Amino acid sequence: MGSIAKIHEMLVSKQCSCTELTKSYLEEIERSNGELNAYVNITGAEALKTAEAVDKKIAMGEEIGLLEGVPMTLKDNLSTKGIETTCCSKILTGYKPIYNATVWDILAKQNAVMLGKTNMDEFAMGSSSETSYFGGAANPFNTKHVSGGSSGGVASAVGANIAAYGLGSDTGGSIRQPASFCGIVGLKPTYGSVSRYGLIAYASSLDQIGPITKTVEDASIVFDAISMQDEKDSTSKGNLGGETYSKLDKDIKGMKIGIAKEYLDGIRDDVKEAILNAAKIYESMGAKIVYFDLPELKFALPVYYIIACAEASSNLGRYDGIRYGYKTEHYSGTHDMICRTRSEGFGEEVKRRILLGTYVLSAGYYDAYYKKAQNLRGAIVNAFNGAFEKCDVMLAPTVPMTAFEMGRAVSDPIETYLTDICTVPVNIAGLPGVSVPCGFNANGMPIGMQLIGKRFGEAEILNAAYKYQQAAAENFKDTKWGVKL
Amino acid sequence: MVTREDVENIALLSKLFVPEEELDGLTKSMQEIIDFADTINNAPVSGDSFDDINNLSNVFREDVVVESYSTKEILENAPEQAEDHFLVRNRE
Amino acid sequence: MKYELVAGFETHIELATKTKIFCSCTTQFGGAPNSHCCPVCIGLPGTLPKLNREVVNYAIKAGLAVHGEIAEIAKMDRKNYCYPDLSKAYQISQLYAPLIIGGYVELSNGRKIRLHHIHIEEDAGKLIHQHGDTYVDYNRGGVPLIEIVSEPDIRSVDEAREYVEKLQQVMRYIGISDCKMQEGSMRCDVNISVRPQGSEKLGTRTEIKNMNSINNIAKAMEYEYERQVDLIESGGKVVQETLRYDDATNTTSSMRSKEDAHDYRYFRDPDLVTIKVSREEVEEIKSELPELPADKCKRYIEELAIPEKDAQLLTKYRKISEYFDEACNGVKSPKTVSNFIIGQIFRRTETEADKEIFNVSVSPLQLNELVKLLDSGKIRNNLAKSTLEKMLDSGKGALEFISESDMGGLDENALLELCKQAVESNPKAVDDYRNGKEKAIKALVGNVMKNSRGKADASAAEAKIKELIG
Repeated sequence: MGSIAKIHEMLVSKQCSCTELTKSYLEEIERSNGELNAYVNITGAEALKTAEAVDKKIAMGEEIGLLEGVPMTLKDNLSTKGIETTCCSKILTGYKPIYNATVWDILAKQNAVMLGKTNMDEFAMGSSSETSYFGGAANPFNTKHVSGGSSGGVASAVGANIAAYGLGSDTGGSIRQPASFCGIVGLKPTYGSVSRYGLIAYASSLDQIGPITKTVEDASIVFDAISMQDEKDSTSKGNLGGETYSKLDKDIKGMKIGIAKEYLDGIRDDVKEAILNAAKIYESMGAKIVYFDLPELKFALPVYYIIACAEASSNLGRYDGIRYGYKTEHYSGTHDMICRTRSEGFGEEVKRRILLGTYVLSAGYYDAYYKKAQNLRGAIVNAFNGAFEKCDVMLAPTVPMTAFEMGRAVSDPIETYLTDICTVPVNIAGLPGVSVPCGFNANGMPIGMQLIGKRFGEAEILNAAYKYQQAAAENFKDTKWGVKL
Repeated sequence: MVTREDVENIALLSKLFVPEEELDGLTKSMQEIIDFADTINNAPVSGDSFDDINNLSNVFREDVVVESYSTKEILENAPEQAEDHFLVRNRE
Repeated sequence: MKYELVAGFETHIELATKTKIFCSCTTQFGGAPNSHCCPVCIGLPGTLPKLNREVVNYAIKAGLAVHGEIAEIAKMDRKNYCYPDLSKAYQISQLYAPLIIGGYVELSNGRKIRLHHIHIEEDAGKLIHQHGDTYVDYNRGGVPLIEIVSEPDIRSVDEAREYVEKLQQVMRYIGISDCKMQEGSMRCDVNISVRPQGSEKLGTRTEIKNMNSINNIAKAMEYEYERQVDLIESGGKVVQETLRYDDATNTTSSMRSKEDAHDYRYFRDPDLVTIKVSREEVEEIKSELPELPADKCKRYIEELAIPEKDAQLLTKYRKISEYFDEACNGVKSPKTVSNFIIGQIFRRTETEADKEIFNVSVSPLQLNELVKLLDSGKIRNNLAKSTLEKMLDSGKGALEFISESDMGGLDENALLELCKQAVESNPKAVDDYRNGKEKAIKALVGNVMKNSRGKADASAAEAKIKELIG
């Protein structure tokens, strides 16, 4: 049973009250956050208020929903009315949104108990959470190691059981990669299945909100709850594939699982071995493994960086010290104020990506970079369409490695960018992808595998993930931290 | 080739200051990233340029007024404000 | 050497939709600062735009009114530049796939000013500079605009004036904007270059930004033409730059500063989806359009025998032409209706603003009744004129002022009697006429008219008198 269902049962059976439960989560956060740095803003008072409301409902004998009263967290780039939302950037310090992100609207209406906002790479730009203005979030398996990024705080909190689940965002792997590093489940939904309204944009055509959870069932429950067409987001289509939770545990006999050889190039041996082991487990359940080439994948990473940085350079233009957030102290004139505010307010990686994005869109370079990248994006989309004629779902590593030590990532941008090589194709093609723990390396650090589906094929990949979870439960491990349910 | 002038120009467009002493380092690092981005130039141009992943069209809103936010809310996060305006005070 | 002026216009027109282009805030003019705002139009992080359907419809109307082609597929792009009045640091506009392509505005000299395209976009907020401080108000931010981009087809200041007036007229006719230049709901950027008369090559152009009155446009163009010609004549070169026009000094000056590096880095806005316009929709919108002023004007001249100058006056504002159309219903002589409007009624709607509103105390139906009395010969012109004055004073109908006895005219005998009286009592006029002074007959006719209290038919009386004394 997943954490959410377990908590639901505890609440309904009055094993504990929601307030007690929330308090124990808050205590565990208090105890561990100093070391983990998962939370950047703890909202205990609000959490207890919601918990109280849930307890009242239970006491009145009212029925409560699956997510009602379940303590959870949001990545700090999801807008929460009246609650500071910083994207872990100096430039948004003190910013309290006056509206809610649609996903938070949905969950708050269901009395989700938000414990706080979690750490992330500044503006979701990074693969280790270390570009955060508040410093990196640690990996619950080994706090010397990173939790991954950019949704590292959510993964750290969920991995350490100081939140039952969390919502992250994934632009090039930011849900799946930290989930993989922290030995938990992360679902990046199909582009358009979850509203982006209120998600502070990094790269609008790639960003997507999704759940980070302990188990596949949890991911499925949360996805079903947040996936809907939102009139505030013109690009949202809702859950076209239909409800996923009720479709878990379907027989996968005869399912064709594709492996593109390019995904296995240049990945670490222990990771490769874990992926091939997972393939064997699938075969033992009657699935068929098919191998093929997907040569377009080798352009995915530069295409991703060009498009993501181009959009980011535009999305991040608005931080000018006039309407919200940080404003420099000393300046002469408006232009000078804006430049100083931005130069002081943004970190190095964010500035680097803004500059790169500006460069690829600027006169004389647009055709060679941005336009060409869009063209290749079309080619990659088509390549995936072709691949899904050969298989039902695809299997790939989530990250070519396991969580590295803190401090290592920042030095070389391109090497860091390579961390994303297995995750970005899914964003480029707008596909759903779920990362599932599939083993550990010699040092006990988790390895993750990725199941990739057709657009709006969440039900299919979650079902495949669930089957694997049942067959290889030993890969889903608790850490020493947090609340023991 | 990414030149110092290129970096100065895009920094100006991006409204970012690059201190003189960081300019060479940044130019070099930009060059490395651009070299990496340049790998796409080896790719064949395909006929299928990307438009919108879900091929959506005509998502509209009806022309019906909804009450605006209060001026107080609108200005709530402003670092500086005066007389119901956002304000950039002259500090010279 | 003689130099020819070459100009093109970029005209911004605010659309009169109820709500902004990407959010549901009101577009109402004025309002306390920052009181027509929401998270979307002040660009709060995480907000997303949602396109107002009416903006597309209005723009299509505009396109049809200037003979443009409505694109089947249009897209929104981001135009990136950082300025405090632009809350997102980009303006959502259209570059790569605008909604309307081509079109033209025909001038009275028969020349067609070709349009390159028309696109939809959002307006920016308002900055107030005071003692070096900058105050920002985003009420206007996000108000929908169309930008009408012409080819460099304008060859004189008069053509420029007419071009702007024609655009203003037609956009008001179709009801998509009030086009008030003083309030900023219509603004022009003018691209100007000069070239030796007869040359085909375009000269280097300058752009004068944000002109907000037709007179300023004319003055600025005249100034800029002279400046460029002087520059070239004295061996200099025109530098391509953006200028601002200073009303007070009647000069243009450069707007360039080191701070605005201009490279808009346009790219498709990933937050908005494709606009597809079916041909059926275009036909439907076309069928809803009123008769356009140029078509009306042509119809008045050709079908109603209205002189061209009068037809232009009648079609200048939609309200006047609608009044005229209604008042003409079933009358024998539309020219008479036109004369009443342009004469007596225009005297009471003197300003352009009054003419535009055209709030007249006499309804078109009442004027129609009066003209029909005239048509049927029941009353004469003089009586009709004086009656119209009374009607205009009081707002009452014609029959309030015309008695039964006023109507019905004179029979042959009565007319003959009156003519005889006139001849007998005016021997001097009779002598003058007989001595070749043709005009003297008018005095005799006048006498008949007076004594008949306007009921006599002047031409019949004249014929009768000639018979008597000829």
